[in-house]
Amino acid sequence: MRPDVSVIVIAYNDAARLPRAVGSVLAQSLGPVETIIVDDGSTDGTGEVAEQLAAAHPGRVRALHLPRNSGGCGRPRNTGLAQARGAHVMFLDSDDVLDRHACLNLVAAAEETGADLVSGRCVRTRPDRPGDRGHAWYPWLYARRAVYESITQNPDLLYDTLSTNKCYRRDFLTACGLSFAEDVHYEDLLFSTQAYLAARRIALIPHRVYTWHWQQPRPDGGSISSRRAELRNFADRLEVHRRIDAVLRARGAADLKLHKDAKFVNHDLLLYLRELRGRDADYQRRFLELAAAYMAELDERVWQKANPMPAIAAFLLGRGDLEGALAAAEYGRGRVPELLTELTERHGRVYWGRLEGHPAHPVLDVTDLGIHTAPPSRVRPVCTLTRLRRCGPLVLMAGRVHNPLERIPPDAEVQLTVEFADRRRKGRVLSVPAEVTRRKGWLQWRACFLPSRVLRPWGFIDPVWDLWLRLSVNGERTALRPRPADETVLETELPARPRLTRLAGDRLVPLRTRQDRVAFRLTGRRLRHRLARRAVRWAAATRAGRRLWRRIRAAEQDVRRRLGSQKTKQAVYNRLLVRLPIRKGTAVFESRMGACYAGNPRYIYEELRRSGRPIRVVWSYAGSPRGFPRDARLVRRGSWAYHLALARAEFWVDDHGFPGGLRKRRGTTYLQTWHGSAFKRMGLDHPELKRAGRAEQARFTRMTGRFDRFLVRSRHDVDTLARGLGVAPDRLLPVGYPRNDPLVNGGDPAELAALRRALGLAGRQVVLYAPTFRPGRGGKAAPLRLPFDPVRFARELGDTHVMLVRPHYLTRVSLPPEAKAAVRDVGHIPDVTPLLLLADALVTDYSSIMFDYALLDRPMIFYVPDLEEYTGRDRGCYFDLAEHAPGPLLREEDALLAALADLPAQRDAHAARRRAFAARFGEYDRGDAAARVVELIFGGGDRDRT
Amino acid sequence: MTGRDIFIVCNTVDDLGGVQRWAHRTAELLTGRGHRVTLVGIARSAEPHPRRPRAPYRVVTLHGPWRPPALAWRPASAWARLNVRARLRDRWRTAVQRRGAERLAALLRAARPGGVVIVAQVWAMEWVRLAGTGGLKVIAMSHESYQAARASSRYRRIWELYPSADRMLTLTAEDADAWARAGMTNVDHMPNPLPFSPAARADLDAPVVACLGRLSHEKGVDMALEAWAEASAAHPGWRLRIHGSGPEEEALRAQARALGIAGTVEFCGPAPDAAAALAQASVFLLPSRQEGLPMSLMEAMACGLPAVAFDCAPGVRELLTDEVDGLLVPPGHVPALAAALRRLMGDGDLRRKLGDNAVAGVRRLHPDTVLDRWERLLELLHRDEHDFSS
Repeated sequence: MRPDVSVIVIAYNDAARLPRAVGSVLAQSLGPVETIIVDDGSTDGTGEVAEQLAAAHPGRVRALHLPRNSGGCGRPRNTGLAQARGAHVMFLDSDDVLDRHACLNLVAAAEETGADLVSGRCVRTRPDRPGDRGHAWYPWLYARRAVYESITQNPDLLYDTLSTNKCYRRDFLTACGLSFAEDVHYEDLLFSTQAYLAARRIALIPHRVYTWHWQQPRPDGGSISSRRAELRNFADRLEVHRRIDAVLRARGAADLKLHKDAKFVNHDLLLYLRELRGRDADYQRRFLELAAAYMAELDERVWQKANPMPAIAAFLLGRGDLEGALAAAEYGRGRVPELLTELTERHGRVYWGRLEGHPAHPVLDVTDLGIHTAPPSRVRPVCTLTRLRRCGPLVLMAGRVHNPLERIPPDAEVQLTVEFADRRRKGRVLSVPAEVTRRKGWLQWRACFLPSRVLRPWGFIDPVWDLWLRLSVNGERTALRPRPADETVLETELPARPRLTRLAGDRLVPLRTRQDRVAFRLTGRRLRHRLARRAVRWAAATRAGRRLWRRIRAAEQDVRRRLGSQKTKQAVYNRLLVRLPIRKGTAVFESRMGACYAGNPRYIYEELRRSGRPIRVVWSYAGSPRGFPRDARLVRRGSWAYHLALARAEFWVDDHGFPGGLRKRRGTTYLQTWHGSAFKRMGLDHPELKRAGRAEQARFTRMTGRFDRFLVRSRHDVDTLARGLGVAPDRLLPVGYPRNDPLVNGGDPAELAALRRALGLAGRQVVLYAPTFRPGRGGKAAPLRLPFDPVRFARELGDTHVMLVRPHYLTRVSLPPEAKAAVRDVGHIPDVTPLLLLADALVTDYSSIMFDYALLDRPMIFYVPDLEEYTGRDRGCYFDLAEHAPGPLLREEDALLAALADLPAQRDAHAARRRAFAARFGEYDRGDAAARVVELIFGGGDRDRT
Repeated sequence: MTGRDIFIVCNTVDDLGGVQRWAHRTAELLTGRGHRVTLVGIARSAEPHPRRPRAPYRVVTLHGPWRPPALAWRPASAWARLNVRARLRDRWRTAVQRRGAERLAALLRAARPGGVVIVAQVWAMEWVRLAGTGGLKVIAMSHESYQAARASSRYRRIWELYPSADRMLTLTAEDADAWARAGMTNVDHMPNPLPFSPAARADLDAPVVACLGRLSHEKGVDMALEAWAEASAAHPGWRLRIHGSGPEEEALRAQARALGIAGTVEFCGPAPDAAAALAQASVFLLPSRQEGLPMSLMEAMACGLPAVAFDCAPGVRELLTDEVDGLLVPPGHVPALAAALRRLMGDGDLRRKLGDNAVAGVRRLHPDTVLDRWERLLELLHRDEHDFSS
């Protein structure tokens, strides 16, 4: 009787965990499975444990012993392989476990598909972190079951080089003579590559089959493969890769070699680079030598094939530029990447690093990544602490914030505060303002404060304080963590006065954290400090102390989380706040969910102020209060003040929707102005909502059911938008959009002239490009990628035209510096109406801006390379664009440039259609919308209806 | 090994739902392969449907109509724990359930080695777990898409009850993969066998579009009516026949009147003979919001009808390939549904081409193929542990 699977369990000095591994094999839901334990010359009794297991399960478990330790995984696996009798073979390490159904799933897939090699999902967990559910190893490879006739059908398999999550047909291994190399580490990589290459058919299953218990490598060793601290380890990895290269060369598989090289750059090399900063100089030097030599052996095409940042890192290693390589390897590690290098602009393109005499290689071109235009909140600048000193009673701190290519523009409004943040309590900070001076390429910051006023920790419960800088650029805030410029900076200790008791310490001692940042520890040098600290430590280490401490921490965090959560605020709002009396004559205004002061609410507000009505207005802002009117009260969206204001307001005015969970009370009038007529299907007509269950549809209608008044611009709005949103016909106000009044009346000439000057538009024709957004990953809008080449526009039409690019407000755009002269990003200007007035022509696709711009009776061009895809499959439209569009529908760049070159011709060619379009969709826009809305809502005649 | 003792356990076995039709069909087919099949219903249905009096397999129902609370009591907060009435009702439920489980246990104890319990629904699994299964292998099934389960309370209950099963089965590979990604490691898939072998094929000339299903929100007949209002204007003379009954019937009739299509839409009530109803049509419309592996679509394809369907679940994609044996449109996209209907109504050759492909395509769900898959699974589960030293 032959077993279906032989599982080879290798063990070295792991007596404690071996029974767990073997137990996971014995517990397999597939019956005929045998276990072969190979003890690699252990000295801690692992051999005896193996014998006991074999004796307890005769015929199902066998134990083999190597006479002396082989130092790797290759020899024990080969030994087990030689003794295996199963139809299939699997490998298991003594510290890991198999899933209960691993063999069943793998064998079932092997028998169903006839594959030589079946691979399943491996999940890596941290046993030292209780409750860790682990994360899957290359989950995108294992998203769904798949069968490949050869590795060339999916070369990405080369990423998963583990030998353990796989089930091999034994005949296949024997026939191909496959075994593990015994003289190097990382024998897995070579073995897996050979197996992938030889397999006639490869099957993948999405089931978890293997749990890899991964531990932070200990300084004294730990598991073999994670001991990256030894340079030999890296040398071995390179050696294995060279052997793989030889195997691939022998097969003439140049394309596979390219894939493998890309994997080396994206994965293997990055592992080492990200740990390199912590190594000593000698290690770094020799690492660089080894790496640079191997870079020369990579396929030339790997620079395009690999991911951009790892490719830059590898390329710079090849040039011997360790700093640049490290900056690239570390870029993008956190949620917000940190820019650790200079950027260089050359010939209108942006390059990584200083270049310093080197030619500008295309691999270093990062223009398309948009780093040069990203605000600090998207790409953090590096900042340093260069000075920390005591002058008499004062403490002086100073440092720099690097600003390559003037990402923080010279005219930006910059504010900076220095913060000491309690590491254990999010949000608890001691802060001091800093002054900022601008230099070329960096900002200098400086803060001076009285420590006795500022540095007041509690003591004992808050021993560590991290140093942060909170940078605000034009109201957009970013938190930065400075790095110490050198060791001498961290020599000054700051006096501190704990609030609980002076026994906790009397000074904050600066230290360098593992991530190379600055933190302070509360300490005291005197005997009483030391004794008190020891006593507290002892108490906290007892079992009761630990438990109590943990409970207190958990309760504290729980209370903090609950008090601040939107759920709590909404519950308090709906049950309590709405019972407070309404304040007559108050209104809450909001535009684009608080993003800016713009749109219909803005124009209604201005009219309200002009008319002098005694309405107290509260404006809600989401990010920063910058740009909002000074004569209104401002509340942050989502804050307690915001909820209180909404609960007590007599009027709500907004253009998107106040938070859905908030009840609107009967005494409040909700004016929903909306933000544009509809081309795409909206609300209940949107396929997403149409396909949804009853509950979700009801939630939507409950939300829109709060609208008491809804602005419409035409009968088209009544039939499409209002119906899609489920607004009853008696709630519609057919007065047009207040924001379009200037389009009919001409707007304020002084304001327009100022804007024209600020944007530098003089003497050229202005083209506004305003496309709608495309859905991206994770339900968010994708960044705008221009469907034409802005550089070509600048080259061919730049002398006579300027293009203003306005991305949809949910997204952003990055333009290359080469196009700077003729293509401008105007996404930061909140209100679109003045831009429409400035523009001599509009280029758009499916954006509702077309309905507004049509009122101006100027040329409109529809640039729609993806017309069928967008209107057909995605979501559906209310009318046929080709039939009604007041301008040409163009799909090619040549046609677009030709049309833009001759705007007068465009003006004449489509005049009749344009007027028909404006008449149809802007029926009620007569230039008096703001006045009429204010009259109808705030004028007194309409109050009693709700 | 032939002649296993097989128990198929469903919530009910005496009504007309999709799972019940599947259970009787599978019991009949497995009996035909020489197995001894017992079909177990946990409770009697509230709307029993008279079914073939002499089935070739045993049918047992554990309880009368189920009157205790459907689900076990789960107090949401410390405050809710003080609810004495809920506590008493839950006691009642537990007591009744225990009696049923004892009856089930007696049935299972009589099984010979090599037997299998197939649990078709997660509610029924509570009884199986209480009864204990001894040496029998347990196969737990989810007859709906992963997304549909995810959106309901069944998701949590499946996670409680199914990981201990020897195998969990979904209807399609895509759903099995979704469960595997979520961490269910015992999951595999097993398609439904074709519910009947059609006697006749539709001739595809009658100007009739057929729609078959319960008249409830998740079947999306409201969207069918909207699409019909758009599509039928261009094809006067065509009729939409809606077979089925359900809670939304009145609302749907009112909607048809409001859309001004009452004259071309027929509400025909439930169809006792699906094949006959389908044979009179030329196009099959499946406007569902949620599906498992829709039986009605399989039936329509077997009859040679070209289908138009929302791509709402893996089960629909599994059966239909766009432009090959039917037309798939994005879920909820009513204009696209209307456009697809217009295309089929206006193009007889396209109907015939898609219809021919449908008949050929659905052949892979032939009972023999599906039964072979079942047999392989049963054999795999019963491969025994051995002493390999000899």
